[in-house]
Amino acid sequence: MSTGDVSRRDFLKLSAIWAGSAWIVGFTTASSSNHREPYRTLTDEEAAIIDALADQIIPPDEYPGGKDAGVTHFVDQQLGGYLKGFASEYKTCLPALNNDAESRFGKPFIHLDEREQYSYLSELESGQFDNTSWGPYRPSSFFNIVRHHCMMGFYGSPVHGGNKEYISYQMLGLSVVQEPKRPGAP
Amino acid sequence: MANTKVDAIIVGSGAGGGVVAKELAVAGLSVVLFERGGWARYSEHRDDELTAQRSFPLHCYFGPDNERYRRVAVDHDGNERIVLPNDWAYHNNAACVGSGTVCYGGMAWRFMEEDFKMKTVYGSVEGSTLDDWPISYHDLEPYYEKAEWEIGVAGNDSLNPFAPPRKRPHPMPAFEHNKEGRILENAAREIGYHPFSIPMLRNSIPYGDRPECIHVRNCVGFVCPVGAKNGTHNTVIPTAIRSGNCELRTDCQVTEILINDRGRVTGVSYFDQNDQKKEQHARIVILAASATETPRLMLNSASRFFPDGIGNRNDWVGRNLQGHAYCGADGLFDKDIYDDVGPGASVAVSDFAHNNPGVIGGAVLCNEFIRLPYAFTGAHPPNTPSWGKEHKKNQRTYFHRTASLRGPVQEMPNFESRVEVSQNVRDHWGVPVAKISGFKLDEDIRTAHFIADKAEKWMEAAGAVKIWRNIPDTGVSGSQHQSGTCRMGNDPKTSVTDKYGRVHDIDNLFIADGSLHVTNGAFNPVLTIMALGYWVSDYIIKEWEHGNRFGG
Ligand SMILES: Cc1cc2nc3c(=O)[nH]c(=O)nc-3n(C[C@H](O)[C@H](O)[C@H](O)COP(=O)(O)OP(=O)(O)OC[C@H]3O[C@@H](n4cnc5c(N)ncnc54)[C@H](O)[C@@H]3O)c2cc1C
Repeated sequence: MSTGDVSRRDFLKLSAIWAGSAWIVGFTTASSSNHREPYRTLTDEEAAIIDALADQIIPPDEYPGGKDAGVTHFVDQQLGGYLKGFASEYKTCLPALNNDAESRFGKPFIHLDEREQYSYLSELESGQFDNTSWGPYRPSSFFNIVRHHCMMGFYGSPVHGGNKEYISYQMLGLSVVQEPKRPGAP
Repeated sequence: MANTKVDAIIVGSGAGGGVVAKELAVAGLSVVLFERGGWARYSEHRDDELTAQRSFPLHCYFGPDNERYRRVAVDHDGNERIVLPNDWAYHNNAACVGSGTVCYGGMAWRFMEEDFKMKTVYGSVEGSTLDDWPISYHDLEPYYEKAEWEIGVAGNDSLNPFAPPRKRPHPMPAFEHNKEGRILENAAREIGYHPFSIPMLRNSIPYGDRPECIHVRNCVGFVCPVGAKNGTHNTVIPTAIRSGNCELRTDCQVTEILINDRGRVTGVSYFDQNDQKKEQHARIVILAASATETPRLMLNSASRFFPDGIGNRNDWVGRNLQGHAYCGADGLFDKDIYDDVGPGASVAVSDFAHNNPGVIGGAVLCNEFIRLPYAFTGAHPPNTPSWGKEHKKNQRTYFHRTASLRGPVQEMPNFESRVEVSQNVRDHWGVPVAKISGFKLDEDIRTAHFIADKAEKWMEAAGAVKIWRNIPDTGVSGSQHQSGTCRMGNDPKTSVTDKYGRVHDIDNLFIADGSLHVTNGAFNPVLTIMALGYWVSDYIIKEWEHGNRFGG
């Protein structure tokens, strides 16, 4: 998550799209240099926040994290589909989550380093920010919703936009095509 | 063009309705079988956990849909909330041809003799409407047998000393256990339990022109990719249609039971697949719309004869809603116990279904079906992270090292757990929706702890290094095991139908689904519902053969 891995041309293109937003300057996503589908319901700013959330909730290790597994695409697709009931909560809470990190760490969420992001989210989850509300929404419940949706996007079927190439099944050692089996047979 | 009058209408093509359709059609009655959903197909749904009928976070592939359906859920404090089908508080089962029998796990239990005479065995329970069934296990035994042979069950009672008496063995040999099942089976023996292979509505050998089970991971909640799981959709319903006497009308929502000025049922009104309101007339109407939708339909059918809903003179329609107070224990092992041989659940003990000192009723205890990757994210041991690096790491280790034991604790029915119709919320067709409220009794939670103790002991014997118990909340049960809302009985003041499922005071209106259950047994309910389908049909056919045309 740094501007370093984006070509200048990409960066210009992205800046043009993002013009008018106060908090986007200087970030982008690794995938922006790859060819990827455009988002349908999320702005690129919102997508970047979800990328960061997805990588905290399911961090990359020997296996790809939430972002590279397509969790953001899952959320993007579902907020216009089965999960459309959550769209306004996302629209309200994503920028609030990003900006509120400033009061605690002096930087928006997406600019924090990994460790800071983790402690910020732990605090959010434990309800330490619940004395503020994001529109009608409670920070800890929003985090909980995002956590669930990231799990769905990472572990659910790729038909819904996430779990690219069944990456989580590969990680769990599960075949995708289920061969006939027999109890007792190795 | 008006529909031609037929001999019998059946509302709902699930476990009970599918059986009745076949029995009546083969006996020569002309039948219209109404189903609000369509056919579920493997090619359409495949392996999508997020829309499967087990955890359905996105929606329920097997219906009903979130667009046209809703219900009202009432919490402990009386607060009402509108809920959609993929919310647990909706208490969904399914809505397609075959209903839950397409996507179920297929455990095929006969209730035990005690399950039919709970009051005689245990006495009265404070706050409960606990009662005996008006029929005994022995009345139903031949019909269990018929269900096992016509729909197809693999099992073997010889290892289960608590199995109720049977005249004929299961038609297919019992299933073998997978790796986890073998570990649990040995452990159960060591501590003196009596483990056996769960009887299953699944082919252990080719049966009924369909192949044997191929043991995939995605079984419960899914359509079987090879058709080795036996439901009403691939057995009795096709037989009914082949007889030439049964017309299946899918995507038709029945909204009212019609009654004439002499208090006889004349048919139903419904919305067809184009949302056109129509009527279908018949000599007999059989309701098999499930324990939540059957009472809703009755309460929505008010008339001069039945101002509070058809069959509801004594306010028993919709009462005594029950499911099971599921409980048990999970265990984490220090070695891999997972071999990816589905569906997972295979070993059970009936030791604690009855005769437990100081406890009323009990439950069979079984190992769980495979928890799929998304569902498993919420199944880690307590006090472990629910996200982050460690959660991801645990997910990949624990997935191969966790087992789960669960028991459907027989609930004590209570009058306040109920299905009503909402005064202000309506569905897509403008019909008042079901409103669900109630609670479990303390007795149920006490029994759940008793059963969870037995599960923990079993897990310990199996060598689990970390064990945690699972106790249900005190909210009303229903969902997949919904039952009890139109109980059968001998006294019309305290029941909705007689012992043949005939609604009191109406000669030609019957019920044949889980609503009839007086109590819901210490076991999953579906084989009992199928047996009741045969039982109710048998009565209707005998009457028919004696020339009774039910007044029409
Ligand atoms: C995932 C899952 C796993 C399960 N596993 C097991 C198991 O292992 N063992 C077991 O014993 N049980 C199991 N069950 C439960 C089992 O499926 C039910 O007990 C059984 O289907 C209930 O039978 P029923 O006839 O009462 O109602 P249903 O089978 O639900 O049938 C009712 C039918 O009526 C239709 N209907 C409702 N209202 C209307 C209307 N107004 N007009 C037209 N049609 C209407 C519905 O769409 C439905 O098809 C499982 C269920 C599910 C969902």
